[in-house]
Amino acid sequence: MKILVVDDEAPARERLKRLIEEQDEWQVVAEAANGHEALERADATQPDLVLLDIRMPGMDGIETARHLAQMDEPPAVIFTTAFNEYAVEAFEASAVGYVLKPVRRGRLAEALQRASRLTRPQLVSLASREQHQARKHISARIRGELRLVPVRDVLYFHADQKYVTVHYPDGELLIDEPIKELEEEFADAFVRVHRSTLVAVAHIEALAKDAEGHYEIRLKGLEERFPVSRRLAPAVVRRLKDA
Amino acid sequence: MNESTNHGQGEEESHCYLPDLCTQRNVLAIVLMAELVAIVYTLARFVSGGGFWMELANTSFFLMWAALAGAASLCFARPFLARASLSTVTLVAFSIIVLITLAISEMAWAIGHYASGQGLAGTIFPDDHGALLVRNLGIAAIVASMILRYFYVNFQWQRNVEMEARARVHALQARIRPHFLFNSMNTIASLTRSNPEQAEEAIEDLSDLFRVSLSDSRQRIPLKEEFEVSRIYQRIEQLRLGERLRVRWLVNDLPMRALVPGLLIQPLLENAIYHGIEPLPEGGEVLIEGFIHQNQMEIRISNPLSEDDPQHSYTGNQLALANVKQRLELAYPGKARVEVEQTPGEYRISLFLPIVENEE
Repeated sequence: MKILVVDDEAPARERLKRLIEEQDEWQVVAEAANGHEALERADATQPDLVLLDIRMPGMDGIETARHLAQMDEPPAVIFTTAFNEYAVEAFEASAVGYVLKPVRRGRLAEALQRASRLTRPQLVSLASREQHQARKHISARIRGELRLVPVRDVLYFHADQKYVTVHYPDGELLIDEPIKELEEEFADAFVRVHRSTLVAVAHIEALAKDAEGHYEIRLKGLEERFPVSRRLAPAVVRRLKDA
Repeated sequence: MNESTNHGQGEEESHCYLPDLCTQRNVLAIVLMAELVAIVYTLARFVSGGGFWMELANTSFFLMWAALAGAASLCFARPFLARASLSTVTLVAFSIIVLITLAISEMAWAIGHYASGQGLAGTIFPDDHGALLVRNLGIAAIVASMILRYFYVNFQWQRNVEMEARARVHALQARIRPHFLFNSMNTIASLTRSNPEQAEEAIEDLSDLFRVSLSDSRQRIPLKEEFEVSRIYQRIEQLRLGERLRVRWLVNDLPMRALVPGLLIQPLLENAIYHGIEPLPEGGEVLIEGFIHQNQMEIRISNPLSEDDPQHSYTGNQLALANVKQRLELAYPGKARVEVEQTPGEYRISLFLPIVENEE
């Protein structure tokens, strides 16, 4: 079994590696010190399993797991954590594999044998339980390659029948997530202006009325106007006043 | 983000030092106290052959009325005084006691007057109106002052005990951060094979750190020792974080013999690392500086902040900060302060404290 070890602390990685390599059937194919590196290495080495630390700088373990799940052949995931009651509670509740650091040999072996891929419900439940942290990136596969877009670059999300399009300065990305869930996750930075549109508050240039007296929104650097639905208008106006 | 300066210092401070006089225990205490005063008063007027017991009964009868009516009034007044200033509480309580005594005295005189008018024995009721009032009000004023003083001292003492207990609990919570313990254990577990000597050193460092953190938190230690503890802590974290952690010490201007509460700097360094350095993939530098301003010293700790989500990085910081504030206030009442400054990329805490070289 090919294993990727992810932890921001070198001694922690070293010890995991040593414990894993005591067994012939397991093999560490790569290491990574943070979430971004982990995604790159996973793409390059296609591991069967990832040992993923929760608390890492930049992109944390839970978010990394969500992006890993986008791979064509997503690896199984086991989380590692030194101490985090919330996380442990979340793992138990969503039946996700985890080991506590310092890791015991026996416990690691058990977890490796039982490890499985994370399902989408598991991931969503994890993300919502773990002190509600929004992702910092949106990810999608484009021709087999993982593309990450920082959430703070996103201008707006637009929902069609089935997919949501993520618009950012360098292009667009199609993702398979309900706009309702996006709205909840990114409530701090985005505001729903229409049934099909969720825009970044930080990128809003102006809220104005058109010739017929309907509200519409202009985003910085975009020609396009975004109609504000009558139902949502009061909430949008309030939100922009606060901002 | 606004800094909550009040955090951990408890609710708004109340100056109402009156105990709840309506509880059974306190009512019993008041009855006993009133009886003791009655005995003292009667003893003071004792002459051989005078009816001591009759005199005591009279006095007790009068005092019991005064004491219980006074206690009941204070008990009702107490909720209204909860937010009053110290002098208001004292003035109101004092007036209540004196006025109640006045009222009871007047009633006693009126009844006595009526009784003697009816031809009843006048012995148990006073007959000289003026003398009666002067005597009773004088005694009431003195006893009221004594009681209020006693309540006040008791209240202060209780509050100090509570504050110290709270500070100790906070100190414990702030110091032994479970995260730190488990992370260190994990690092040591990995070093035992790869670098046994380092592992050994780490265990020694960790033991020293815990020894200090379990010692009496009220004890003051020389600044030099406090910095030593912080450096031990830094060494342990260094093993784990490697090059990501850089700490610069610019504290040579400080008087190293000055006494400070133990574990004053270490929790702040821990915070700086946990909230400032760890969230940065490339790590960063914690800067510890010392300045002298006249008779005060300033110790300043700055750390970079992740621009990704400064909000999230700092939610956990309040406990250690509140704890340090509280301990500074206990150690140097009114003479120390803490300033917090936060800019988008940096967080900075400054401690200002008096320079004390000898234990008073």
